[in-house]
Amino acid sequence: MVENRPILNFLTHAVLILGVLFLCFPVWMALTASTHAPEALSKSPIPLWFGTQAWKNYSQLLTAGLPEAGGVPIGRMMLNSLVMALGITFGKIAVSILAAYAIVYFRFPFRMGFFWMIFVTLMLPVEVRILPTFDVVTKLGLLNSYGGLIVPLIASATATFLFRQFFLTIPDELVEAARIDRAGPVRFFIDILLPLSRTNIAALFIILFIYGWNQYLWPLLATTDEGLYTVVMGIQRMVNAGEQLPVWNYIMGTAVLALIPPVVVVVAMQKLFVKGLVESEK
Amino acid sequence: MANLHLNALGKTYPGGVTAASDVSAEIGDGEFIVLVGPSGCGKSTILRMIAGLESITAGELTIDGARVNDLEPGERDIAMVFQNYALYPHMTVRKNMEYGLRNEGLPKDQIAARIAEAARTLRLEEYLDRKPRQLSGGQRQRVAMGRAIVRKPKVFLFDEPLSNLDAKLRTQLRAELKTLHQRLGATFVYVTHDQVEAMSLADRIIIMNAGRVEQIGTPMDLYLRPASRFVAEFIGSPSMNMLEGRIGADRSSLTFDHAPAIGFGFELPAPAGHPIALGIRPEHLELTPGGAGGIDLAVQFIEQLGADTVVHGAVPGSAMPLAVRLAGVQLHEAGAVLPLTCAAENLHLFDAKTGRRLAAV
Repeated sequence: MVENRPILNFLTHAVLILGVLFLCFPVWMALTASTHAPEALSKSPIPLWFGTQAWKNYSQLLTAGLPEAGGVPIGRMMLNSLVMALGITFGKIAVSILAAYAIVYFRFPFRMGFFWMIFVTLMLPVEVRILPTFDVVTKLGLLNSYGGLIVPLIASATATFLFRQFFLTIPDELVEAARIDRAGPVRFFIDILLPLSRTNIAALFIILFIYGWNQYLWPLLATTDEGLYTVVMGIQRMVNAGEQLPVWNYIMGTAVLALIPPVVVVVAMQKLFVKGLVESEK
Repeated sequence: MANLHLNALGKTYPGGVTAASDVSAEIGDGEFIVLVGPSGCGKSTILRMIAGLESITAGELTIDGARVNDLEPGERDIAMVFQNYALYPHMTVRKNMEYGLRNEGLPKDQIAARIAEAARTLRLEEYLDRKPRQLSGGQRQRVAMGRAIVRKPKVFLFDEPLSNLDAKLRTQLRAELKTLHQRLGATFVYVTHDQVEAMSLADRIIIMNAGRVEQIGTPMDLYLRPASRFVAEFIGSPSMNMLEGRIGADRSSLTFDHAPAIGFGFELPAPAGHPIALGIRPEHLELTPGGAGGIDLAVQFIEQLGADTVVHGAVPGSAMPLAVRLAGVQLHEAGAVLPLTCAAENLHLFDAKTGRRLAAV
């Protein structure tokens, strides 16, 4: 339907622009607030344009951190978050793609039983099983380690299910052609299945990275060592830093820094993702 | 290049469904064998058992005298071309053809030489670096054939390779396949449901019905001496006319319930009163000029095909359909009655109950 009505055009664009402004306003506020001195933010009106303290604020955050919040430099927290998010992402993708491969392509006893067991865990998010998980991680001695941050979050029913559905759409003839071409199970997986799953992996990477990056409750429980704090925890600690007033310029600066990696991942992977969609097979 | 021996092959699925049973055939070196039959007759199952994609639950399969029942598809030295091409979508044409050879561990220069040769044979040279999705259906199927050729297998297996192509391309690729077979001199086993494909390609045809072999023979064997009513009706287009009646008291005529008897000049090989089906191919019926023929046809409609005309109708007074193929352009009004005759050697008699051919006609 191609319509050309100037008033309607104007109206739809106005609505769109308004929506964009509405969505972007908090980000804009965080960005501008992070460039002011703390005093400027404690009195009204709150400035809506850049201040002069950007360099000072960010260098303080990246090198020294906030004394009130433990004094861990944000760079360290960002690194922790990155390790955790990437660990969770790669771990989840690796485990779930292999689990789906087993369920779809191999005949073993209780195959469907295993599938349903995985599927049922969809209904149990981290928060529900957090106490037993904590218990297990403690007994394994993984508290206060990257392993403890990552491993409990790796199993993913959602990703397994997604890969299973995708594998089921791959025609049987392709598997048979590979068998005739002397590709064993490992060869088939690496040479055929992985390249075909590329777009699914890219999509999952985006979702899982953001999921991992935004983890809050689990890192809060699993770490007491300040050197392992993640950036999401860091923000929270700054806001609740004891008796003092929250230092909004630093908090907003941290939030802006914490935004960067997910944005980079989305922008970088989205290209591949869209390319994959366009190239998808008939 | 190899002999293939199918010894009472059978396939019963775990659920108890039998897809094929007691299929025996001796396939010679360099032979072009076509397995043909209606869908669900077990022809694809047989091919997949030869390929090793389907386990063999009864009987024995040997290639060049060696039992291969329990070998993996990759170990049987066969190559297969699938109906939907089954090309690896993320690999270029070259990579698609290379893949099996690389897995075999063939040296790089030999791989390159084989691909160059196959690409030349199949006129795919300019497409080697394209992905399958950038090719047309016919080109994709040629790539699939190329992937089979470079393997230099003992046996080529084709599973309805032309079914996804349009009619014109199918005819063209059919000719290419025939040439390819002559050039390679390899053993081909080819599955199709299309009897025209079977007739035009095969050295010998294995015609199957409901999981069993109906007849094995050259196309002309099947056409001229079908072993059963099923074969008779499956081969040939339009399909063979079947007139069901009983053998008359004189044992040399066929009587019908609602139509005049047809007399033969010879004795029929079954007792009087025996129910039989008389088969006559539409192209074997001729118009009797001006006289009374053996069989009458009440015209219902005609099909003008240019080279010849197919007249459809029924035996007057009965519901038995009858078709005749007449040479050239012919015009007959609906309702007209055509007197027809057929030479004795072109009559086929089948037992109405068992469907088997009655001997000595």
